[in-house]
Amino acid sequence: MADNDKRLGVALAAATCALLGSAKSPPAAAADDDDRWEIESALLYYGESDDRVQDASLSVNAKRDFGDGKALDFSITADTLSGASPSGAIALDGPQTFTSPSGDKVYTTPGGEIPLDDTFLDTRYAVTANWTQPFAGLYTVSAGASFSDEYDYTHAGGNVRLTRDFNHRNTTLSAALAYSQDESDPVGGVPVGLSRMPDVDDLSNRGGSETKDIVDVVVGVAQVINRTTVVRVNYSFSDSSGYLNDPYKFMSVVDPVTGDTIARTPPPGERGPSGIYRFDNRPDLRTKHGLYAEARTWLGGKVLNVSYRYMTDDWEIDSHTLEARLRWPIGGTSYIEPHLRYYTQTAAEFYRMSLVDGEPLPQYASADYRLAEFGGITAGVKFGHETAGGNEFSIRLEYYQQSGNVADSLLIGNQFNRETSADLNAIIAQFSYRFRF
Amino acid sequence: MRRILTALLLLALAGCAQVSPWERDILAKREMQLDGAPLDAAFDDHIYFSKEASSGGRGFGGGGCGCN
Repeated sequence: MADNDKRLGVALAAATCALLGSAKSPPAAAADDDDRWEIESALLYYGESDDRVQDASLSVNAKRDFGDGKALDFSITADTLSGASPSGAIALDGPQTFTSPSGDKVYTTPGGEIPLDDTFLDTRYAVTANWTQPFAGLYTVSAGASFSDEYDYTHAGGNVRLTRDFNHRNTTLSAALAYSQDESDPVGGVPVGLSRMPDVDDLSNRGGSETKDIVDVVVGVAQVINRTTVVRVNYSFSDSSGYLNDPYKFMSVVDPVTGDTIARTPPPGERGPSGIYRFDNRPDLRTKHGLYAEARTWLGGKVLNVSYRYMTDDWEIDSHTLEARLRWPIGGTSYIEPHLRYYTQTAAEFYRMSLVDGEPLPQYASADYRLAEFGGITAGVKFGHETAGGNEFSIRLEYYQQSGNVADSLLIGNQFNRETSADLNAIIAQFSYRFRF
Repeated sequence: MRRILTALLLLALAGCAQVSPWERDILAKREMQLDGAPLDAAFDDHIYFSKEASSGGRGFGGGGCGCN
């Protein structure tokens, strides 16, 4: 942990230097774009209300243009995350006690509220690198790699992208392929799907670490419509296989009439859960298809950007996302950009509020709120200013709200009278600085 | 089949007004680039990947985290 803190310290210091170091950079107007580094650095705060997830993130993106379209790009991000997240258990009138994910202690949540697991704290580092270069006149190829590491999760991936221009470069077709392998390694091992939450120090339901493989394909077309408008349409395909459960999510096992969690008392001298809970179990395959369309148009100095995304997958989650930004110049060097985003999704076919005591266990089940039916709205504004030297700083402030909708068919007895979805309200604040040297 | 579809698509797109290189003053501006704000996009992808069931579309599916 101390080692982790030290690494975070170094990463934060490096990113802060990058964020501030720009004051010494020479004016951009004095040189051309080639053979120089362009650095974009940002500090992000993401905070949910009710002591839920808080995240502070520093990111630096460095790009070097070598001329002739050749460019090297890399990024480094350090995240630190804390706070509470809904565990999947239902609210009860009285307090509930759970064994912590590490299996070595218990925590208790108050009655009348959706139980939150507040035991998690994590630090994450992520790096990406990418090389782009044109060839044979109208083609461009790029190849990249990504890696991230956190306490209980590791990701490694690679990607390639090929584009070709047509119609005097008014049309660009692209095809991209990415592969990644991720490993989930929670403390004590991943819990066996649908196994019961055991007492403290009982790790008999735990396995080792688990992996998943993800293949992504994106094909798209970008088209210049006229001097002021450009559009693009992408089709995306994503196939995940392997361990797709969330090792920290579980479900309450409830009475078929009252809908209350079946109570239990740990054996004498033992600490453990106050009810029966069973761990999340999802299919080990998921295939997603997506359609994304975006238009960007110049309206006499203002820029309007609208996009729409439709996604569907074989877990029966369908989603629609609509997004709009309007960049409005103020004077010659500043702008203000309002942003609106609307999102809606249907529930996964195996999503449920709880498991019913006495009924056979379903093959797959999860009470993860992210697999439920819900809607989300983001509203925000960004302000940017370009300095005399051609550098730019910007500030972005957004509000994100999610509200769930649990179908009556998923509720039993007393569950109708209690809070059923832990609605989310979050603030996103970002400060960015872009400079060249 | 795929070749025929591609050819048809290109033919259809060629029907759009052609913008010559010397007419690209506006399209060349940073704010008109389709991927003009990569850091904002990366943060957004990461946030929504962690909080919603769908991800990707504009680019790859994102992720690379055991996000709670």
